[in-house]
Amino acid sequence: VYFIFFPGGFAFLPFLWLVNVVWFFREAFIKPAYTEQLQIKTYVKRSAVGLLLWVAVLTTWISIFQHFRAEWGAVGDYLSFTIPLGIP
Amino acid sequence: MGQILGDQQETNVAPEPTEAPPEVTVNRARSRGGSGAGGGGGGGGGGGNGSGPEQNGQPPAARPARVVEAEEDEDEELTLKYGAKHVIMLFVPVTLCMVVVVATIKSVSFYTQNDGQRLHSSTESPQLHPERYATIMITVIIVMTLVLVLLYKYRCYKVIQGWLFLSSLLLLFFFSYIYLKEVFKTYNLAMDYFTLAIIIWNFGVVGMMCIHWKGPLRLQQAYLIMISALMALVFIKYLPEWTAWLILAVISVYDLLAVLCPKGPLRILVETAQERNEPIFPALIYSSTMVWLVNMADTDRPKRNSTEAASPQQEAPEAVASPAPSSLSQDDGGFSPSWVNQQQHQLGPLQSTEQTRREIQEMPSARPPVEDDDEERGVKLGLGDFIFYSMLVGKASATASGDWNTTLACFVAILIGLCLTLLLLAIFKKALPALPISIFFGLVFYFATDNLPLRPA
Repeated sequence: VYFIFFPGGFAFLPFLWLVNVVWFFREAFIKPAYTEQLQIKTYVKRSAVGLLLWVAVLTTWISIFQHFRAEWGAVGDYLSFTIPLGIP
Repeated sequence: MGQILGDQQETNVAPEPTEAPPEVTVNRARSRGGSGAGGGGGGGGGGGNGSGPEQNGQPPAARPARVVEAEEDEDEELTLKYGAKHVIMLFVPVTLCMVVVVATIKSVSFYTQNDGQRLHSSTESPQLHPERYATIMITVIIVMTLVLVLLYKYRCYKVIQGWLFLSSLLLLFFFSYIYLKEVFKTYNLAMDYFTLAIIIWNFGVVGMMCIHWKGPLRLQQAYLIMISALMALVFIKYLPEWTAWLILAVISVYDLLAVLCPKGPLRILVETAQERNEPIFPALIYSSTMVWLVNMADTDRPKRNSTEAASPQQEAPEAVASPAPSSLSQDDGGFSPSWVNQQQHQLGPLQSTEQTRREIQEMPSARPPVEDDDEERGVKLGLGDFIFYSMLVGKASATASGDWNTTLACFVAILIGLCLTLLLLAIFKKALPALPISIFFGLVFYFATDNLPLRPA
């Protein structure tokens, strides 16, 4: 399963990577070794890396967006859930 | 009750396409599927087949029938223990679902706005003939159940599966989009389309995978709860006042009849499934323990807990009750409403049909004989049950004059009903409709509490 979740995450699915990591974490790192564990470990590690990347990107984007939204005018209305009031 | 029910099957509820007359935009048709009553098969093992937990999964014939008094006592103890544990296992998700629904209703005003009314013909008065709507829906439900039974009988599995798939797709994406939108509006949060798209996309795709394929048990359960809550919210929003109550009542009665009467469509479904000795198509049920069969395990794996029990799915070991393992593993409980497009649609969801299965069923957990787990039997509850329970409580919280009193009363009523139903399940060991008792209590409590002069100051 983990070897399917991993490439699946490339389709803009960091959540899938998160699931992969969380779910197989115990399998990969905590349980005593067994034959397939090495493979699991690789995949979990890669998923974790991908996940971190995505989190970084998203955080940056969201902060930029939230910060500059008011100043962007028309572009800021790209979103539909504007704060109707309270912005002087 | 060490009795293993050998041929547990699950049936799914008939899908209900909604076809409404032009004015009625939202038609909710529900049909229920009956679940296989494994009781008959298990009983074949002989009354004295009081085997202990280890028998789980072994066909009754494997053990000699032994009638021993001590064992019978033990059986009773096991029954109760089993019952209590499973009651709790079901309480939690049902409570969670209801909490989500009530919280949303209280905070997001969208779901209580009456623009549901405009979905009915604007020229007619909104409260026109709630009975008419109810009748229409019930008819649709019955039709859908029959259609499902027919489809099943004639082995059109692909159709059913495709339907389920589509419905869960719609539910996961569309409804959650609307839900998120409303939540953001309520809390005045800004959100850009890009992030929103990512969120919805992730949520939906992972949901589809979890429900229809494989995923961690907890996540799957969480998804099922979420989609049940979403569905209940939709119903609460789009059904006019009295129609909702009527629907609840009628559906409970229908459930009772369809499951228990010998000629009921659901029963036919169940029996057909049992004859063919095969599991029903992916169930729309919530399962409290899932033994899900992963290909990665081998028999030399060390002992694992039952949530990760391993054995290749396809080779469900013969030791395990035959339909049970595959139905367990297939048991993804996807919830599927199907949409019927309507000509003059307006905003938002139009018709939805749900396919829900509402029966509680005991299932032995499927384990390869190698393992030695202690008895972990899952109890399954159909998603339709979740939806209707939540709908009842949600409606109570939305429209009650006593506010929290009424909501709490309904909540307690439903839980009591659930307990009783599980108790009956343990006693009768057959598939039972989960709705009637709880809904009945819920309705009684609602109308009683609402009309009591219990207004705070």
